[in-house]
Amino acid sequence: MIERLTNYPVPNSPSNPWSDLPSDSSSDSSSDSRLGQPESSEIVLSVQGVSKKFCRSLKRSLFYGIQDIATELVGMRQPNPQLRYNEFWALKDVSFTLRRGEALGLVGANGSGKTTLLRIISGLIRPDTGSIWLKGRVAPLIALGAGFSPILTGRENIYANMSILGLSKSEIDARFEQVVEFAEIGDAIDAPVQSYSSGMAARLGFACAIHTDPDILLIDEVLAVGDAKFRSKCERKLAELLQNGTSFVLVSHFFQGILNTCHQGIYLSKGNLVAAGSAREIMDLYEQDLFSIKRQATRFPLALPAKTATESTGADLASIYFKDAEAELIETPVSGEPLSICARCLVRRPIQAASLFVAIYQPAKDNSLVLHLSSAYDQETFAVEAGEYELRVDLPCLGLLPGSYTLSVYVKDGSLYMLDAHESIPFTVNGSDKLNRGQYYQPRQWQISNLQISSLEE
Amino acid sequence: MTGRNRHLNRDLPETLYTPESRIRHPKQLWRDMKRDLLASRELAWRLLVRDLSSQYRQSLLGVFWAFVPPIVAAVGLTLANNADILNIGETDLPYPAYVMFSMALWQTFVESLMGPVQAVIAAKPMLARINFPREAIILSQLGQVGFNFGVKLILITVMFLWFRIPVTWTVLLAPVALIHLIALGTAIGLLLAPLGTLYEDVTRGLTLVTSAWLFFTPVIYPPPQSGLFALLVQWNPVTPLLVTVRELATTGVVSSPVHFWLASLLAMGGLLVSWLIYRIAMPFVIERISA
Repeated sequence: MIERLTNYPVPNSPSNPWSDLPSDSSSDSSSDSRLGQPESSEIVLSVQGVSKKFCRSLKRSLFYGIQDIATELVGMRQPNPQLRYNEFWALKDVSFTLRRGEALGLVGANGSGKTTLLRIISGLIRPDTGSIWLKGRVAPLIALGAGFSPILTGRENIYANMSILGLSKSEIDARFEQVVEFAEIGDAIDAPVQSYSSGMAARLGFACAIHTDPDILLIDEVLAVGDAKFRSKCERKLAELLQNGTSFVLVSHFFQGILNTCHQGIYLSKGNLVAAGSAREIMDLYEQDLFSIKRQATRFPLALPAKTATESTGADLASIYFKDAEAELIETPVSGEPLSICARCLVRRPIQAASLFVAIYQPAKDNSLVLHLSSAYDQETFAVEAGEYELRVDLPCLGLLPGSYTLSVYVKDGSLYMLDAHESIPFTVNGSDKLNRGQYYQPRQWQISNLQISSLEE
Repeated sequence: MTGRNRHLNRDLPETLYTPESRIRHPKQLWRDMKRDLLASRELAWRLLVRDLSSQYRQSLLGVFWAFVPPIVAAVGLTLANNADILNIGETDLPYPAYVMFSMALWQTFVESLMGPVQAVIAAKPMLARINFPREAIILSQLGQVGFNFGVKLILITVMFLWFRIPVTWTVLLAPVALIHLIALGTAIGLLLAPLGTLYEDVTRGLTLVTSAWLFFTPVIYPPPQSGLFALLVQWNPVTPLLVTVRELATTGVVSSPVHFWLASLLAMGGLLVSWLIYRIAMPFVIERISA
């Protein structure tokens, strides 16, 4: 049966989401180096039409569990596309294939079925329809430190944990030093795990899992463990494994992580496979969908609730809005266009050095600070009497790429004394065309000069 | 360096998951069961070492706790018997020794019965996250039963020396009967383990049933010879197994070999069936215990 299925994932089959994809993708330069090697095209994981139903009521869910066991035991269990009462599809007809040394990013909102898919692939639960074929050892980086006993020492736990992950004693012996070194545990290796910090325990768990030499690695949101230094170490290790032919399925909300590691992407929504393609395309699509939900959240101008005299510290933000070059109010700024970020302020007392701070963050990229502007740092402060003012920063050309951002606005007296603030206002930047590669928008003009003509003119 | 060659040279196992009933492919199922049982030995040992060391590291008195229940039972019952509160017939051993030995055997049976359910419940978080051979939990649990019996064996030896109880060569056969006794307990426990993971009622029910069951087993009294109660005790599958262990260890005369072999057959057959059901049921249980 299995032999027959070895060539199950037919490359030209219509259900294969990769079949109509362009084979080149600018983001996976590493695949070019593998082109000449036949083993790189070997399929290690094939998911075909997999569906899974879950039940919303726990009591009923347990009962269905008994029912399923009974039908399984009498041999009556068949692929069943019917939903029972109170059930829903946690996954519906998902298909994809994964080749050796390839990394696949799985994105989608919470509850879209990503973890369910990983659990089916790892063989924890069985599909309700479809089939999963895979080759080699699967290591789930879903549960870091599963089976860790807080009483036992790090050393004992390494042995227990790696045994659970399927390694023999001699295999663990051979890897032990590497694991300890990677986890940066040091002398604490002989202390009980309950004395470890959460970061140490997580690092130890990660180190155990990653040193099992899997053929397929399932990674579920675990790259967030530890500090930035350890995270980059994890990423280097993953890159090394990828080079050595390990295949990945990676679930992350951390966009950069997926883009850095994955060639291919899959976008799941409510259990359905919405799109499959190159990681970059999928992330763009996912990001756009995320924003279209968020866009409704903020309407500009954003009016802020008025403060009472006792709440006020002297100047209140009344509203925040964007203006374009013609000083018209706009909802969505456009990359490369002039933009003014404005804050209407109600000043209650004379202020010596009123200044405006603007900070823009990008949630999709780990909520990193993209832009920070401060009039105080620019040595531009304003002495104002009581009254109503519009504080504004004029940008001759908006350097943000299309995408979603959050805006924080602060009014200060000088550079330290905070008068009022409003943080994390979601907004979207549009672009006239696909400009979203790279880090920022660069205004530019393209020219060509015929040097012969110009030299003649001289 | 574990390079790409590792992947090329290794003959990688292939796996297929489908919704179809696995019981329809009994040969494949049987092969998988054998493979997983063999593969789980080392893990079971690891888990056993882990559980025992964390158990004893958190205890001052340690193995003392394994001695206490049989001693307490023996002292209490002997006092009651001597005060003519209990009317227990002649036993072939001095009564305190009889109770202590039988109690140790009964406890071993109860442990092997409750063990699978408790072990699977305790391993829930692990089961829900990692696909390791599920047999390992059960094997490790059996290891614990064995370890605990080993500790009790010290008590039994001391007691045998104290009361100068004669033993015959048949004591060497006693472990065989003991294994059958443990197999019976494990068969029942394993059968209930998947259900017990879903519903708490199973654990509660088991506690109730085992305490009632004790009175239908000749543990604190010798096997009755006549009456309806005698019949009940006789048809209790634990009776022949427990009595045979006791007889092999002491007198060397097996009183009801037919019942012993029937009960053993039930135990071994039951164990096999329970294992099969456990194996098939676990993925469905795991599906329901963690969303």
